[in-house]
Amino acid sequence: MTTFLLNILLAVSWIALTGAFTPTNLVIGFVLGYSVLAMTQRLMAPSGYFTKVPRVISFALFFLWKLARASVRVALTVLSPRLNIRPAVVAVPLDVRSNGAISLLANLITLTPGTLYLDVSADRRVMYIHTIHVDDPDEFRRAIKDGFERRVKEMLE
Amino acid sequence: MTVTDLALYGVMPILALAMMFAFVRLLRGPSLPDRVVAIDLLTALGIGTIATYAIATEQTALLDVAIVQALVSFLGTVAFAYYIERTV
Amino acid sequence: MQEVLTAGLMVGGALFMLVAALGVLRMPDLFLRLSASTKASSFGSGLILLAAAAHFADTGVTSRAVATIVFLLLTTPIAAHMLGRAGYFVGVKLSDRTVIDELAYQYDLRTHRLASRNPATTTVETDSVSPES
Repeated sequence: MTTFLLNILLAVSWIALTGAFTPTNLVIGFVLGYSVLAMTQRLMAPSGYFTKVPRVISFALFFLWKLARASVRVALTVLSPRLNIRPAVVAVPLDVRSNGAISLLANLITLTPGTLYLDVSADRRVMYIHTIHVDDPDEFRRAIKDGFERRVKEMLE
Repeated sequence: MTVTDLALYGVMPILALAMMFAFVRLLRGPSLPDRVVAIDLLTALGIGTIATYAIATEQTALLDVAIVQALVSFLGTVAFAYYIERTV
Repeated sequence: MQEVLTAGLMVGGALFMLVAALGVLRMPDLFLRLSASTKASSFGSGLILLAAAAHFADTGVTSRAVATIVFLLLTTPIAAHMLGRAGYFVGVKLSDRTVIDELAYQYDLRTHRLASRNPATTTVETDSVSPES
């Protein structure tokens, strides 16, 4: 957290030194500050910041990629003359326990076209997910667990 | 005539067509939650239309209307869902 | 350049919404319709709001557009979850093409609590009834 504040401080000083307060400049300052901090990290107290930021970025890219692929597939399904669907409600056992991780996972699942988060059981063991097209429920379970859940877990827990 | 003006000629009819589809679902139902889904979709289309209109008329103030619509539509849908669940 | 970006985002968002509306119209049951409509409200409007941000290229407009998009991304899944749950309690029928329903009979209709039977043992419920027909 302190490393993050330090990074913001560096970004702000970059803006002050260059004298142009624009969003682009803020991003440039942030990236520069990040690389400086990454280079000098051995001089400071150890921090999880440098493993977390790449993880968040790779997660965002992974999510965008999934999103693009799923959108195209669902659009093709909707536009096909004979709706090619095999809908199912699948119970996926959960490994993540914290409130934040479960709600992030639920939001991501609903935002991915083709899957819809319905509910979490009262004891938080199982999440019920509706999906437009399923061939094998175990395969679907594995995809959710290895894809979204593992990454959410890595990021938050 | 700019590219944006040209795009507006396409976007507005597309949104209107989408609204018509949503309206058919609103009339057909068959259950109350289905109609709520249609209303939710109509407000989302409304947000899109308002933002498009803001571009067409160069009025940034219209974007505030889109924000308010986003806030209100969420509350409306949640209230409807709560009502449906409690009436069982 | 900026105009092309605006036009592209706007047309993309509108087409996204059209597909979603078509989905809401054509899909056979509530959950499928929900799953089509949530994406329209989040991404369709999101793309058009981004188009507005690109068109005006102004800090105030951009921050408002981004705030609205974040709000939409946070709230639409919640609304969909509540509607789907309500639908299940009212007893909305799943489409007859549904292959598996592992949520069936898991809700306690009196207390509105959701149970979790071990999913590994209850996978095959309606699956045995000819999945392809």
